Amino acid sequence: MVLFCALILGTWAPGVAFSQELIAHAGLPIDTLTRTQAQLYFTMRLQEWPHRQPVHVFVLADSNPLHRRFAKQLLNLFPYQLRRVWDRQVFSGTGQAPRLVADEAEMIEQVAATPGAVGYVEAAPSDINIKPLAVR
Amino acid sequence: MHRSTTALVLCLAPMAICATHSASTGPDLATRLQVHGFASQAAVHTSQNRWLGDSPDTSTEFTELGVNASLRLSPRLLVSGQILSRRAGDMYDGAPALDYGLADLKLLYSDAYRLGLRLGRLKNPLGLYNETRDMPFTRPGIFLPQAVYFDKVRNLVLSSDGVMAYGELYRGFGSLAFDLVAGRPLIDDNVEWAYLNQDFAGDLDIDGVSWLGGIWYSSLAERFKLGLSWADLRLAFDPDAGAPFTIGPGQTDILYWIASFQYNAEDWTLSAEYAREPIEWRGYGPLVSDRDATGEGWYIQGTYRLEPQLSCFLRWERGVADTADRDGTELETGSGGLVPAHVGFTKSLSAGLRWDINRHWMAQAEYAYNEGTFTLSARENPVFRDHSKYWSLFALQLAFRF
Repeated sequence: MVLFCALILGTWAPGVAFSQELIAHAGLPIDTLTRTQAQLYFTMRLQEWPHRQPVHVFVLADSNPLHRRFAKQLLNLFPYQLRRVWDRQVFSGTGQAPRLVADEAEMIEQVAATPGAVGYVEAAPSDINIKPLAVR
Repeated sequence: MHRSTTALVLCLAPMAICATHSASTGPDLATRLQVHGFASQAAVHTSQNRWLGDSPDTSTEFTELGVNASLRLSPRLLVSGQILSRRAGDMYDGAPALDYGLADLKLLYSDAYRLGLRLGRLKNPLGLYNETRDMPFTRPGIFLPQAVYFDKVRNLVLSSDGVMAYGELYRGFGSLAFDLVAGRPLIDDNVEWAYLNQDFAGDLDIDGVSWLGGIWYSSLAERFKLGLSWADLRLAFDPDAGAPFTIGPGQTDILYWIASFQYNAEDWTLSAEYAREPIEWRGYGPLVSDRDATGEGWYIQGTYRLEPQLSCFLRWERGVADTADRDGTELETGSGGLVPAHVGFTKSLSAGLRWDINRHWMAQAEYAYNEGTFTLSARENPVFRDHSKYWSLFALQLAFRF
């Protein structure tokens, strides 16, 4: 029930204290992702955008509250599941981990500076190099 | 030795080619090259029986070190390798070895499917945990459930030099995945100890090509996971020609399979796996008679996350050396009392606590109460009559990752 309410809040009331948004480098020629696509990119299983540009995934630490809300509400995955998938790939040589950033400011800086980048923030900044991505 | 050198060259060659290739594309190398690793140290105490060293006197002979590098050359191609050092009682001395070294090539991929090949030294994807069984952060406790994952013969299923085809399908109902490996598992003396009960003069090695595979279903968001994975192997013994005392050129056929189940909720995870291992011994002569046995093991484990960084688990496991002799009585009478009945089975109840201190450090504690000694290594406990039927284990582990 709590999760359900949080989901409603997070999805339908962007801008309130507990929201999060998917952001991408402004050069990306798409505006929406399906939840499955978002899961595939953030679990590092798919390395290319549909138009064949390499994907660069940025995340905050597992314990970061924004990361935890992002995983649960936008990806519908628990943070420990993301960690498990990344570790399994990294320590069997079959994949790589996403790039870790220290905080939201660095997230914005890196996504803005990296073509093909995707990340998440509390609320999308008004930066010409960043665009919000809707998850449907 | 020759074979492992060949494998090493096979694995490192693509990495070298790739390294030169990427040098030409320069500045973003740092973003495409990743280096990760881990280290762990445990202290193990048992009431009786040896488990990873002289555990009745408290052993610290369980140390794991691993370093890996991976380079993404393109969305299609990844090369990677890991060096592992594992010190584990009398079984492993910590000598570093190439744990995996591979090129991963995706042939087809989209948001609906992917299909690819892996070539080189590959970790065998058996059960929920085998692929990363030496990385302490990925295990469901300090030790894997021994009735299914047998550390005493871990090398039999650890990795293969060969080729793997894999595929995944992403649909509204969840995802389906498969993998198929043709290759040669890398075995060692521990395998001989486990299947022939001692180290005879001569070499036990994999005969021909082994096949391993798996099929997996995950529901949406991976709440629910089901899988079946297997390894089909033949071991052949090549006796030393001049040895005064050894056994004949026999062979052992093994079909090891695991059915896996896992349910993931926010605060808890429930895992259960059932493994079966039909084995046939043939042609070793009078010292190791021709026979069939079917090993079996299963466990059920519940893990509860008290906090994101603090979790505890409870696990119940059972295993038997032969399903036709579940209480080991035939083993005891057949050996004229040399092998007590309790060597033929294991029953174990364990509980543990894990604290993820920060993103680099983790500490674990674990207690297990055991009846039976089936999961003990004969190499560490060579006199079966001395095995204590009831024994407990307490272990602490500190682990680091980067």
